[in-house]
Amino acid sequence: MRANFIFSEVWIGLRRNLTMTIAVIVTVAVGMALLGVGMMINSQVSKLTGFWTDKVELSVYLCTKNAPFEPCKNKGAVTQEEKATLKQTIEALPDVERVQFENQAEAYKHFQETESNRTLLSVTKAEDMPESFRVKLKDPDKAAAVAASLKGQAGVSNVVNERDLLESVFGFMDKLRYMALGIAALMLFAAILLIGNTVRLSAYNRRRETGIMRLVGASNIYIQLPFVMEGLIAGLIGGVLSGVILIIVKVFIFESIQTYMAAPLGWDTVAGVITGTMAIGVLICVLASFVTLRRYLRV
Amino acid sequence: MIHFDNVTKVYANQNRPALDHVSVDVDKGEFVFLVGPSGSGKSTFLRLVLKEERPNSGSIHVAGKDLSKLSNFKVPHLRRRIGCVFQDFRLLPNKNVYENVAFALEVIGKPRRFIRKVVPEVIELVGLEGKAHRMPEELSGGEQQRVAMARAFVNRPMILLADEPTGNIDPATSIGIMKVLDRINRTGTTVLMATHDAAIVDSMRKRVVELEDGKIVRDQSRGVYGQAY
Repeated sequence: MRANFIFSEVWIGLRRNLTMTIAVIVTVAVGMALLGVGMMINSQVSKLTGFWTDKVELSVYLCTKNAPFEPCKNKGAVTQEEKATLKQTIEALPDVERVQFENQAEAYKHFQETESNRTLLSVTKAEDMPESFRVKLKDPDKAAAVAASLKGQAGVSNVVNERDLLESVFGFMDKLRYMALGIAALMLFAAILLIGNTVRLSAYNRRRETGIMRLVGASNIYIQLPFVMEGLIAGLIGGVLSGVILIIVKVFIFESIQTYMAAPLGWDTVAGVITGTMAIGVLICVLASFVTLRRYLRV
Repeated sequence: MIHFDNVTKVYANQNRPALDHVSVDVDKGEFVFLVGPSGSGKSTFLRLVLKEERPNSGSIHVAGKDLSKLSNFKVPHLRRRIGCVFQDFRLLPNKNVYENVAFALEVIGKPRRFIRKVVPEVIELVGLEGKAHRMPEELSGGEQQRVAMARAFVNRPMILLADEPTGNIDPATSIGIMKVLDRINRTGTTVLMATHDAAIVDSMRKRVVELEDGKIVRDQSRGVYGQAY
């Protein structure tokens, strides 16, 4: 097998239908990038889920002096006795792993760390912050039942299941992921058709050469290899481009939302995703060329 | 070398067979003319030898191989032992004479050193010495056909199939082409030539097999084209 001969044939083929080759490359690049984004969202979500399932807590907020919540109205701030009974009640619940008390100073500190609205920061004082019990559950799925039982207790203003907040974020990411994967599937489909068309054009352009190759007894592999290589090279270039797009997505999108995510997506994951999408892209291109060749290049 | 036994070929969507119970034997080193009017089955005969088509019935042996038992995978190896020349030359327009001949060896993976040695020899054999770097469009029809013959012969095939090789060439030039075919035949290569050219057949005095409506109507050693024409 003469490598330089094959490569010169491949080069001629790619150059002869340059526009189609570019179309294939762009389609593969975009399709693979979307697939990669889908995979990245996927691993981000599973990472976050793992991270938060460990940390998810029930926040049992207690009444402050002027709390606007219904159970606190006309009652004033929570009393020391109420706090003590509440603590005992919570600790007595079978599903509770541990309870932590957060006083106003701590709450204010957390608030200052996480809130970015300057006006709100400047007008909020430590006395405005509610005290709370942070309840860690043995089984996060029991959260709803525990929350319901604590809601009516004296001195409790509100019970927030942090998981409910996360759920909406996860739901949004899930939608993003399915959208990315759906578009990726469409792009892949388009890529397959485009490659088929390119190979068909290529086979037509080179029918003289292939006809002579057949006559003088070139083996099937030798006749088909230049066409398959065309698909492979287009797929490879498209794959590299999609890798670049994925790196850009990681740097500019995932990195910037990382502040809210707590569980950052590592470069090792990104590298894995890029390798995976490139492999899929090349494989699809090669398979598509091969299948079309069977139809348009009689051997 | 070529053995047809009761071969029938009917193309799809056609009622009349292209070849109808044809039996013929061609020995090693023979020169055989295949004559007959258009549509008599000459080209089908050649295509069957190359296993480009399969017969509907009967058996074909080429170079000692039963073609019906030859897997698709091995067909290229069969074709390496058969050279082909056509009426329309089938040269690659973007390659010069040398490259056109070398192409036949490159695509079957022959080493470059071997190609550099044999290609000039064959170009000389067909009488094109000094024209190795001409492009096909710069050559006359007769010269282009010589290139095609060089390409067909460069791998030293056991059989050379020629499908009306003089069909596009004037009578004077045709004589030169026939001389090259005769020279190739003298190296021990079996030559099977389909033709309409009565003058050539009459002058060569070789074996003549005549087909009509897919049937062999005459098989004559040292024959002529036919009284009827």
